[in-house]
Amino acid sequence: MGHVLAALPWIGPALILIFGVVLYPAVVMFYNSTRDISQSGVDKGSAGLDNYIEVFSFPYFWPIFGRTIIWVVVVVAATVIISLGLAQILNKAFPGRRIVRLAVIIPWAASVVMTTMVVYYGLEPYFGIINKFLVDVGLVDTPEGYGWTRNPATAFAWSIVVAIFVSLPFTTYTILAGLQTVPGEVLEAAKMDGAGPVRTYWGVVLPQLRSALAVAVLINIINVFNSLPILKVMTGSIPGYDADTIMTMIFKYIQNQHKVDVASALSVVAFVIVIVIVAIYVRVVKPMKEV
Amino acid sequence: MKKSLRFGTAVAIAAVASMTLASCGFGGGDGDDTASGETTLDLLVPSYSDATQGLWEDVIDGFEEANPDIDVKLEVQSWDNLESVIATKIQGGEAPDIYNGGPFAGFAADELLYPAEEVVSADTFSDFQDSFIANAEVDGTAYALPLIASARALFVNNALLEQAGVAEAPKTWDELLDAATKVSALGGGVAGYGMPLGSEEAQAEAAVWLWGGGGTFGDATEITVDDPANLPGAEQVKKMIDAGATQADPGSTDRSPLMDIFVQGKIGMQVGLPPTVGQIEEGNPDLDYSIVPIPTQDGSPMTVGVMDQLMAFQNDDDKKDAITKFLDYYYTSDVYVPWVQAEGFLPVTKSGAEALSGEEALAPFLDVLPDAQFYPSTNPAWSATDGAFKALFGQLQTKPAQDVLTEIQAQADAG
Repeated sequence: MGHVLAALPWIGPALILIFGVVLYPAVVMFYNSTRDISQSGVDKGSAGLDNYIEVFSFPYFWPIFGRTIIWVVVVVAATVIISLGLAQILNKAFPGRRIVRLAVIIPWAASVVMTTMVVYYGLEPYFGIINKFLVDVGLVDTPEGYGWTRNPATAFAWSIVVAIFVSLPFTTYTILAGLQTVPGEVLEAAKMDGAGPVRTYWGVVLPQLRSALAVAVLINIINVFNSLPILKVMTGSIPGYDADTIMTMIFKYIQNQHKVDVASALSVVAFVIVIVIVAIYVRVVKPMKEV
Repeated sequence: MKKSLRFGTAVAIAAVASMTLASCGFGGGDGDDTASGETTLDLLVPSYSDATQGLWEDVIDGFEEANPDIDVKLEVQSWDNLESVIATKIQGGEAPDIYNGGPFAGFAADELLYPAEEVVSADTFSDFQDSFIANAEVDGTAYALPLIASARALFVNNALLEQAGVAEAPKTWDELLDAATKVSALGGGVAGYGMPLGSEEAQAEAAVWLWGGGGTFGDATEITVDDPANLPGAEQVKKMIDAGATQADPGSTDRSPLMDIFVQGKIGMQVGLPPTVGQIEEGNPDLDYSIVPIPTQDGSPMTVGVMDQLMAFQNDDDKKDAITKFLDYYYTSDVYVPWVQAEGFLPVTKSGAEALSGEEALAPFLDVLPDAQFYPSTNPAWSATDGAFKALFGQLQTKPAQDVLTEIQAQADAG
């Protein structure tokens, strides 16, 4: 007991931080999801599970759910595959490698909203530079360009492209760090045993990347699932719910309908979904298992 | 040794605890400095233009000079964020004292607002245009003070219409469809009618069409979007889109960027606001345009009036006098008229209208103001209806008109 008391002043600040910044907001979220909160934010008493019923009985909920899964799977899978290649290139010695490595970091250093806005304006009809290019090379035949961000399917596809672009630096660097832990003698041994480059990669390098990949994939899943700004910018002006994921839906509940209570319920659902996705990933891929 | 260690522990805990508490105390005490005898008024306003912040600062400087015991704190937010900011503040128990916004009936229903008559002097109150005060009433009591008014009119690119062989600006829907189709046929990326049904301000374009066909959004007690009277307007929107008389993808085009395209001279006709005049002046002064009343089904005059309000939240009763002083100061003609004029809106006070009656740029709008219809903003469900229009009305581009109206009504009722 004495030890605990003696430790308290030292771990106190950390505890306050954990309770105040991590646990308290989560508890408030759960609490709000069971309350009936008026449009102007006044708590009007308990609502039981009504908010959850509203979330699940919303006719567009399941399409939105499906789109969220597509969003996470496509973005994370494409990011990891491209990053594996990029990391491999950056791991080779070549002149100007330092500059190329720096260039890969730039999307990371720039604000996500800014990067997305650049693409968004590029895709605008009438004055967007991407549209202008496509018109000039003859791929789009209307003189003002095509409304890429005005149609749910194309806006969603472009959002995926932007999301992959901004996820690349972190993933590439995590994998690059992993590549640098692969000992040279192991590669040499593989060579001695007559393994070609392909066989070496699949049989020796990739298994050693297991823990680096595990970190990259897990953090990306959570990050991409919780990503709002890209979709908010790219699909924000589209009416209806044909380009929404769970995150943008939460945003719409708050922004358009002022339903903080229903938004909290959907946030809780999202929280559960992330946990389930991560659990499935850990279970199936067993990323933490030693090689 | 062990004992002294414990003692030391207790001291340490006490020190940490008091530090934490002290910092809480500082955080809480920042808000109002009652000790120094000053009253602090928090003012939360949206940004109408780049000049908004400066204009309010001028008002506040003038006011604080005359009332040194009152400290006015200004917070400017963008329209996009305004409503979530105010909701967050109310939820956190930090409602501003004076708030400039749109929908207010929800706040009145939650008993958060002072009745308008309690926070301005009788002179100021009687100076408001009667129709505007009537539009700020909930159950016979005005809970908001009209701030600015705006009306809409059709901006016409004369050069494009002439090129397309349209002799006169359209007055009815049929003429509009015909003129817009002809202008669209010019090609080269030119669109006949600029129709912004995107989320930014879909409710306004919806009002232009639904009300122009004799429909209504409802009144203070009932929201009636899914009403047969609204169907002709919605059908006409579809007709315009199907005929190719609008720009591409009207369902997801926002108003502000589309207005820029009009200013650039690529759109034949678009509904605009008084500030649009200044926008053209600045962006493309050579544009040959005229401002005419909005075409309706049968050609009878109609415009969508918008009124923004100031409202006073009941925080501390001892602040009421300070709020009254500030609002009375603000609405004096010398302060108010330059403010409204600089923002390019229409005044809501009788004295203000008199002062601005000679303004040429405002004339087309002041003319249509008597035929203005307003959003049912005193209906507590209006806020939800507004959100539903923003989120769903653009679906007209792809869905049957009746389905869209039904869906908006359902979401409005649920809110």
